[in-house]
Amino acid sequence: MSQSQTKPQRRKLSAGPLSRGDKWFFRTTSAAAHFAFVLVALVLGFLLFQAWPVLQSQGVNFVLGSTWDPDSDPMVLQLGPMLWGSLLIAVLGILIATPMAISMAYLIVFMLPKRWASVATTLIDLLAALPSVVLGLWGLLVFTPIAAGWAEILNKYLGFIPLFQVTDPENGFMRSPFIAGWIVAVMIVPIITSVTREIFSQLDRDLINGALALGGSRLSTFRRVIMPTASSGVVGGVLLGLGRAVGETVAIFYVLNLSMEINWMNLVEPHGGAVASWILARFGEASPLEKQGLMAAGLVLFILTLIVNYIANVIVNRAQPWRKNQ
Amino acid sequence: MLLALLAGLDLTMSFITLFVPLQLIVSSFVGYRAFGRRGIGDAILVVLTIFFSTFVLILLLSVLYSVITEGAKAISFQFIGQNNVYVSPTTSLDYGGVGHAILGTLIVVLLTTLAAVPLGVAMAIYLTQSQSKTRNLVRTFTQALSGLPSVVSGLFILSIIEATQMGRSGITGSLALFPLMLPTVARVAEEALRLVPVDLRYAALALGAPNYRAFFQVILPAAKSGLLTALLLGLARVVGETAPLILTMNPSSGTNLNPFDGGMTTLPTYIYNYLASSYQTSQARAWGAALVLLMVVGILFALARILGKSKSKKSKATK
Repeated sequence: MSQSQTKPQRRKLSAGPLSRGDKWFFRTTSAAAHFAFVLVALVLGFLLFQAWPVLQSQGVNFVLGSTWDPDSDPMVLQLGPMLWGSLLIAVLGILIATPMAISMAYLIVFMLPKRWASVATTLIDLLAALPSVVLGLWGLLVFTPIAAGWAEILNKYLGFIPLFQVTDPENGFMRSPFIAGWIVAVMIVPIITSVTREIFSQLDRDLINGALALGGSRLSTFRRVIMPTASSGVVGGVLLGLGRAVGETVAIFYVLNLSMEINWMNLVEPHGGAVASWILARFGEASPLEKQGLMAAGLVLFILTLIVNYIANVIVNRAQPWRKNQ
Repeated sequence: MLLALLAGLDLTMSFITLFVPLQLIVSSFVGYRAFGRRGIGDAILVVLTIFFSTFVLILLLSVLYSVITEGAKAISFQFIGQNNVYVSPTTSLDYGGVGHAILGTLIVVLLTTLAAVPLGVAMAIYLTQSQSKTRNLVRTFTQALSGLPSVVSGLFILSIIEATQMGRSGITGSLALFPLMLPTVARVAEEALRLVPVDLRYAALALGAPNYRAFFQVILPAAKSGLLTALLLGLARVVGETAPLILTMNPSSGTNLNPFDGGMTTLPTYIYNYLASSYQTSQARAWGAALVLLMVVGILFALARILGKSKSKKSKATK
């Protein structure tokens, strides 16, 4: 380039205002997207509006007390046993489901040949979409006798542990939190397995191969390479399952004997509680004031699942930096 | 193990207390012989993994098995076609059916879809196409909404019904299903739109297209199968919902095609109503309805899978 040539002039790049069509496009989609805010706010707001009188009159005892008597004057509505029951069944379900889900995911990703692995994956994803009412049907008619049998054996041989004690073995074990916990476990296993399988399959294969090359065995690789790397994601998946378990209504509705006597630890005792099923059970013949109490119960449930899901998402997002939003 | 069976333990318990520990010990022994001390750990891991996985598979497959075998007893063309208007709990299975429930499901889900899909896709467009700073907030709120328990959604619509004296009908049912379908559709549609290579959009913009034309004429056709998957997964989620519909709709035994007036039954509420009856025929009806529901969900899922696979095959072919 000779120096006598003039340097090309700098072009001015201008980004003009959006065309009319574009303005419309972005404004409409933005309005639609912010509708999610509106919807969440509406749900919380309406429930709060209906539930506020009840919450005000019952105070903190709404979640701590254990009497639900809509006919007394003043009305006493307290959710304690149901809330504890929901948590108990959910925790039981997770304790049962997590080892099974992790083993299933490990099997699919690290042990099965490719074709079987994809068949198993499809099967698990399909089972995750099982409607909960079908699970309730199966649970009541097919699974309850079997699980009651297990409960009886647990009570017979391990009855010295307070967990497995009953007040009256003759009562039968047909409607205990134990059975409800198993049904909830069956329901959330596919969810946890899907999430875990996805995390396992996205682990860096080089890490695992490196561990094996350094002389690791299956067990040591699992314990020291796979689980630490995948643990946050697995915890996130478990919490997602927990969120689903706590909101489960119909599946355990017929399987649980809802009673207001708080059942702290006796898993095989034939009465328990669950907030969602309680709402379903009571709303049919509820007076308007009692309906407000049920709305308050629903509010408590929603807030609980919000908290659980929020924690789950924080953990999962931290564990999977490749999923960070752009 | 035979001795234990003879001693009176049933199959399950003898399996657990004898077979598995025996298996653990034998395989540990083999592992030790083959690999030394670390072979033991490996063997235990493998045995436990297979045990747990088989256990959970048996439970899950038992659900499918029960529905298929019990439902097959009740299913027939008449079962799928007729409704239950003149049916009492003791009527034989030759009369009555779930026709009205299938129609009810179709109507309610269709109404929900008409509202949820455009809104969900619009949300996905916003999240992927715009550069707004509130995108993360919208995503968080959508995830919060996806955790809404179905019964709370029903309660929400119930409170609106009572506040406005609207009266229960099919439309209130689909209103209750709307907050459940929306986040699913939005999330999957967002992933589908994100899969489209961003170069396509830049190319369209470079050629002078305004954003909306770039979207509708370039990105949307490219993401078509993904968006269809979003629709199908949203449908699969909502088709099986029971609790919100119980709270916001009155059941009916006859066919009711009017979503604005009168009760309507859907497949899940049908199952719920017949589930706990003590009559054998009613229980058989519930199983039959469950089988029909399962087939519907299975078809939706299979369609979503096929669309997903064909899309990945296409992208592999172009690479």
